[in-house]
Amino acid sequence: MITAPLLEVGVLVLGMVILMFEAFATKIDKRILAFAAIAGLAIVLVATFFVAPVPSPNQATGFWNFYTVDRLSVFFKQFALLTTILVLIMMIDYAPAVRSSFPGAHDGLGEFFTVPIFTCAGLMYLVSAIDFIFIFVSLELVTISFYVLVSFTRKNPVTLEAGVKYLVLSALSTAFLVYGIAWIFGVTGQTNLQRITEALATPSTDQSATLLGMVLVLVALGFKIAAVPFQIWVPDVYQGAPTPVTAYLSVGSKAAGFVVLLRVLRPFATLPQMQRLLVLIALLTLIYGNLAALPQGNLKRLLAYSSIAHTGYLLIGVVCLDSNAVVFYLVAYLLMTHLSFAVLVIVAQQTGEQIADFDGLAKRSPFLAFAMLIGMVSLAGVPFTAGFLGKFFIFYAAILQRQIALVVIGVITVGCGFYYYLKVVRAMYWQPAAKIDNISVSTLSRIAIGALIAATIWLGVYPQPILDALKR
Amino acid sequence: MTPNPYLFIVIFVGVALVFPLIPLALAWLWRRFFQPPKPGPDKTSIYECGVESVGDAHIQFHSQYYLYAIIFLVFDVEAIFLVPFAVAFTGLPIGAFIAILVFLLLLVEGLVWAWGKGCLDWEH
Repeated sequence: MITAPLLEVGVLVLGMVILMFEAFATKIDKRILAFAAIAGLAIVLVATFFVAPVPSPNQATGFWNFYTVDRLSVFFKQFALLTTILVLIMMIDYAPAVRSSFPGAHDGLGEFFTVPIFTCAGLMYLVSAIDFIFIFVSLELVTISFYVLVSFTRKNPVTLEAGVKYLVLSALSTAFLVYGIAWIFGVTGQTNLQRITEALATPSTDQSATLLGMVLVLVALGFKIAAVPFQIWVPDVYQGAPTPVTAYLSVGSKAAGFVVLLRVLRPFATLPQMQRLLVLIALLTLIYGNLAALPQGNLKRLLAYSSIAHTGYLLIGVVCLDSNAVVFYLVAYLLMTHLSFAVLVIVAQQTGEQIADFDGLAKRSPFLAFAMLIGMVSLAGVPFTAGFLGKFFIFYAAILQRQIALVVIGVITVGCGFYYYLKVVRAMYWQPAAKIDNISVSTLSRIAIGALIAATIWLGVYPQPILDALKR
Repeated sequence: MTPNPYLFIVIFVGVALVFPLIPLALAWLWRRFFQPPKPGPDKTSIYECGVESVGDAHIQFHSQYYLYAIIFLVFDVEAIFLVPFAVAFTGLPIGAFIAILVFLLLLVEGLVWAWGKGCLDWEH
C-alpha cells in the first residue's frame, strides 16, 4: 500500500536524479530529460489513485501533525501533478526560445525542465499542510523555485524585470505571512490549525489580535492568488515570464493558494469581520480584473487580467465556504487556462503574443484555432463548457447564502468577460491572415491539447466525476 | 563599623579612571619635554599591524565570488544542524543517524551538482 508522504518523496527523488543526470550527461538532447520527468510524474499520478484518504477533513496523519491526507489534499496532489505534466509539455514546445536566450554550451534547458518538478513537490506538500510552520516551508519551496523559473530567460530585459518584481513583492508578502503567523501564535499559542480552532472557541482568547494576525496572513495569500489589492505584480510578471511558467503560475500557484485559504479560513470563519472583508476583496477583484482586461492588446497580459478576474469568481466560492464549488472551478480553470497557454506557446513562436498576431489562425491551423476557441469560450463561461458549470456552481452557492451583491456584480462582469475573450475568437476566425503558411504542432502537444479540449467539453456536460471525487 | 558594600564599586571606578590616565599623562609629558618635532612620511603614516597595504581598498570583486559564498553558506548552515545532533548522538536511535546521513547526502548532492556544472571553475 502506498502512503501519501511517499508520493512527495518520489517526486523529489525524481527531480534530484534528473538534476544529477543532467549535470554529467552533457551530450544528450535535453528534451529527453523532459520526457523522463513527464513519465516519472505520470507514474506518481497513477500512484495517487492507490492512496487511501482519511475520512475526516484536516485529520493529521504524520510529520508531528503537520500533514493530512484528506480527500481535498489527495485530489489536489493529482491536480498539481497534472498541471506540472502539462507545463512540461508546453516547455518542450518552448525549448527553442530558451535555447536562443543562452548563447554557448550551457543552454540551461536541463534546469528549465527540472525546477518544475521541485515546484510540484512544494505544491503537493502545500495542499497537505495543516500547520502554519509547514504551510510556510512548503510555500517557500514553491515560491523560491518560481523565482528561478520566472526570470529564467534573463537575457531578455522584460523577463528580468518580471523576475525582479516577483522576487521583491513575493518576499514582501512572505514577510506579511510570517508576521501574521507570529500574531496568531502569540494569541493562541498554537501553529496547528486544528488546535487554533479549539483555542479560538475559548472565550479568553483575544479576538481582535487574532483578527489582525489573520488579516496579515490574508495579505500573503491574497498575493499568491492575485486578489485585489495585492494584484499589482500580476500583469507585468505574467507578461514577462516564459509562457509555460506563466501558465504554471496562474494555475499551480493559484490553486495551492486557494487550498491553503480554504484550510486557514475555517478556524476564523466564525469571526463576522472576516466574512465582510472577503466579500469586499471579492467585489474589488471581480470589477478590477474584468474592467482592466477590456483594453488589452497583448494576449498574455489579457490572460493575466483574466486570471485576476477568475480569482474574483473563486473568492465568491470562498466567501460561501463551499469548497466543492471552488474545487470544481479550479479544475475547469486548469483545463481552459492550460488550453489557452498551450496554443499561445506554439503560435507566439511563429508570430507573436499580440491578439493581432492571431489574425486568421483558423486558416493557418484549424486545430489550434479550435483549441483556442474552446479555451476562450470556456473562460468566458459559455454553456456546455467546464467554465460555465464552474460559474454556475459558484453563483448557486452564493444565491443559497443570500450574497446578492456578489451575484449581481459577478453576473455583470461575466458580460464584460464575453467582450474581451471573444475579441480573440474574432481575430482568429474573421480577420485575414498576414501569413498563410501552416503551423506545425508536435504529436505530444497535439495529444495534450486534444485531451484538454475533450476534458473541457466533457466536464461541461457531465461534471459528476469531479463532484464524486470529493464526496465519495 | 562595616563599610558600605557599594564602596568597592566607587573605588573601582576611581582606579578605572586613574589607571589609563596615568600612561596618557606620562606620554604627554614625555612629548612635552623630550621628543624633538621631526615629522616624516614613515612617522606620520597610520599605524597598521601586518604587511603593508597595496593599492586601494575600494576595488570591484569578481561577481563569480557569490557562487562560492552561496556554496559556503550551505555548509555553514549545515554545521548548525550537525552540532545539536552531535551533542545528543549517544542517546539517539539508528533512525536518527540515517536521517542525518540523508540530510548530508542532499547537501553533498548540491555540491556535486554545482561542481559538475562548473560553478567551481574560476574563469577570468
